[in-house]
Amino acid sequence: MSATSVAATEQYDYDIIKKFSVMAIVWAVVGMSAGVYIASELAWPFLNFDSPYLSFGRFRPVHTGAVIFGFGGSALFATSYYVVQRTCQTRLFAPGLATFTFWGWQAVIVLAALSYVSGFSQGREYAEMEWPIDLLILFVWVAYGAVFIGTLMQRKQPHIYVANWFYLSFILVTALLHTFNNIAVPVSLFSLKSYSLFSGAQDAMTQWWYGHNAVGFFLTAAFLGMMYYFVPKHAGRPIYSYRLSIVHFWALSFMYMWVGTHHLHWTALPDWASTLGATFSIMLLLPSWGGMINGIMTLSGAWDKLRTDPIMRFMIVALSFYGMSTFEGPLMSLKDVNALSHYTDWTVGHVHSGALGWVAMIAFGSLYHMIPKLWNTQIFSVRLINAHFWLATIGTLLYITAMWISGISQGLMWRAFDDFGNLQYSFVESVAAMHPFYAMRAIGGMFFLTGMLLMAYNVFATIRQGVRDAASAQARSAVATA
Amino acid sequence: MADNTHSQAKSTGVQTTGHVWDGDLQELNNPLPVWWTYTFYATMVFALAYWLAYPSWPIGKGFLPGMNTITYVNTEGKEESWHWNTRAKLLKETQDAVIAQKPYYDKIAGLPYEEIAKDPELSSFIVSAGKAVFSDNCAACHQAGGQGKVGFFPNLADDDWLYGGSYATINQTLTKGRRGYMPPFNESLEAGQIDQLAHYVFSLSGGKADPAKVAKGKDLFHSQAGACYYCHGDNAKGRMDIGSANLTDQVWLWADVPGSPDDTVKIDAIRKVIVGGLNKGVMPAWEGRLSAEQIKLLTVYVHELGGGK
Repeated sequence: MSATSVAATEQYDYDIIKKFSVMAIVWAVVGMSAGVYIASELAWPFLNFDSPYLSFGRFRPVHTGAVIFGFGGSALFATSYYVVQRTCQTRLFAPGLATFTFWGWQAVIVLAALSYVSGFSQGREYAEMEWPIDLLILFVWVAYGAVFIGTLMQRKQPHIYVANWFYLSFILVTALLHTFNNIAVPVSLFSLKSYSLFSGAQDAMTQWWYGHNAVGFFLTAAFLGMMYYFVPKHAGRPIYSYRLSIVHFWALSFMYMWVGTHHLHWTALPDWASTLGATFSIMLLLPSWGGMINGIMTLSGAWDKLRTDPIMRFMIVALSFYGMSTFEGPLMSLKDVNALSHYTDWTVGHVHSGALGWVAMIAFGSLYHMIPKLWNTQIFSVRLINAHFWLATIGTLLYITAMWISGISQGLMWRAFDDFGNLQYSFVESVAAMHPFYAMRAIGGMFFLTGMLLMAYNVFATIRQGVRDAASAQARSAVATA
Repeated sequence: MADNTHSQAKSTGVQTTGHVWDGDLQELNNPLPVWWTYTFYATMVFALAYWLAYPSWPIGKGFLPGMNTITYVNTEGKEESWHWNTRAKLLKETQDAVIAQKPYYDKIAGLPYEEIAKDPELSSFIVSAGKAVFSDNCAACHQAGGQGKVGFFPNLADDDWLYGGSYATINQTLTKGRRGYMPPFNESLEAGQIDQLAHYVFSLSGGKADPAKVAKGKDLFHSQAGACYYCHGDNAKGRMDIGSANLTDQVWLWADVPGSPDDTVKIDAIRKVIVGGLNKGVMPAWEGRLSAEQIKLLTVYVHELGGGK
């Protein structure tokens, strides 16, 4: 085993993967801390300290940017570079470009966060970056595509492994989404502000075509790619069904493109567009579940490992949350359900059951599997992974339960009429009713963040151990040759 | 490679596709789960039904309107029928509510205030509808229960009124709005004089102040130089026709006297108002935004908040 891993560390380009893995951990800690802070601001508003820099409006995109693009993005860069090399049995194409993707991407996250805190935002959810940062993203992304596709093209295997299709679709679609959602005319060359090319309802539709496909391809397809490599690899079992993987891949890719308009039910968007969004969301249910079935059935037969292996637990719980939130999503996209859920915390809870339960947990499982291999060592502490697992699971459950209760209460309070047909509650009464659940959500976030801090320590200790082992091995071989 | 082709996976007995990646990654050749396939078809049937019910596919410049319809009585009393759309749904729900509440509003429009307040059914309607209108339009400043905010917006739930608490004056306030103004005295009076006035004003409501300053302040208050009595009146009880405050009660709106920790700070809060004057007591006029019936309803609602006269 160790002989082949030593070979792997030389056979493949691991340096870039190590960099991205470390930054994934760093951004997770930063982004989740920001999340806990803004959640606490909602529960205890004095935390604003009357400072614009700390206000919810500016800090919220810092949170989403750091967790989605910082943590999620870095984890995807790391795992995709790992998976594509190992399944193609080749080194990365254009390693210089790969290094550029690292520094460029980190610069994007830092610049974006600084610009939000100083009050610059495009006002497009998950695409808040102003145009100069958008251009930098574009360059990084083209370089990423070139490295990934170049590596695929020089593969030493006739077939492309399924995980790579998912990664590839994520890279292509993200390029498409990012470009079309950010077509804007700058106010001047020296102004950060710009005007979108689209106007009114079309602008909103473009934004949510982007917004939902960012969920679909950045946070789903790409992490399914992660799942398709790390779940079978870690379980030591073959993928359950090749055919299911093909069919659900194409169905998912086709359906996702249509569903963005379900974010704009009951708005100025034409009703026909919102109907199409709702129906394609319903038809997306089974294609989404294809990934869950393939993952869970792959693990089937290795259930005994769940007792002893917390990494496996992360993976199975991630798949379960994936199945749960991809069921909840289509439900919420129906016009009548959406009339209750729209603008409430239910949406926030739904996003986090996907983001914490699925995206973060599958990324944790994959990183715990990959990081020891990168540094050619063992994980520092399995017990810490286990503690992380329970903190993350309890945190996620607290979070989504709080948001279900508060979201549905909000929805019901907003539409409650008395005997005379007048609104029963004023808006501020619904805000007051949310307070205990906002506190509960913040506490859930604290659980999740605590688990993340354990992971950061565990990973740090693992890397230190790997570096020391390598140094002493080098010393030994130096002695041996002398 | 050839050896691998369609080999059976050791653990499951199912054939694999024959490909192996990264040492041990394989794929089984299992078919699609039957329940998966049929449920997928079922979602398509559901989508089809949804397209038939609601507006769906765009065709040319129009779109398939769907079979669901919405029928309602419009503002002119005529029945209208539309294919299902959100605008018609909103109009229907609004119109239905307007029609249901019309008898109450008609009654309110035709009756004098005193009789409205006496009618138990109308009173409960006013508590219900008044709260909705108040929450949407008034609560942002006067707060949800009408308790106001010291330093900004008057309390509507007590019996202290700047412009009067009768039905007629409340109605006037709502309809036309109000603009409170007190000139700044930092240029016409010296600092010492302002200090004397502040002590005097504080003593008017029972506060403990320096008696010497109080005496001088009292003279100044009633003199041509200070001219405070012009607006606040000889007895300092204010004048409702111009909205000047009663300085002899314990109710403070602009200077946060009750919230201040000790007498020095309290007097200082009063001094600040005399120095700078006031130019922020603006109540907007609602006649353009609310109907006469809604204003009448609000008049009774505010009157009944606790302090109507």
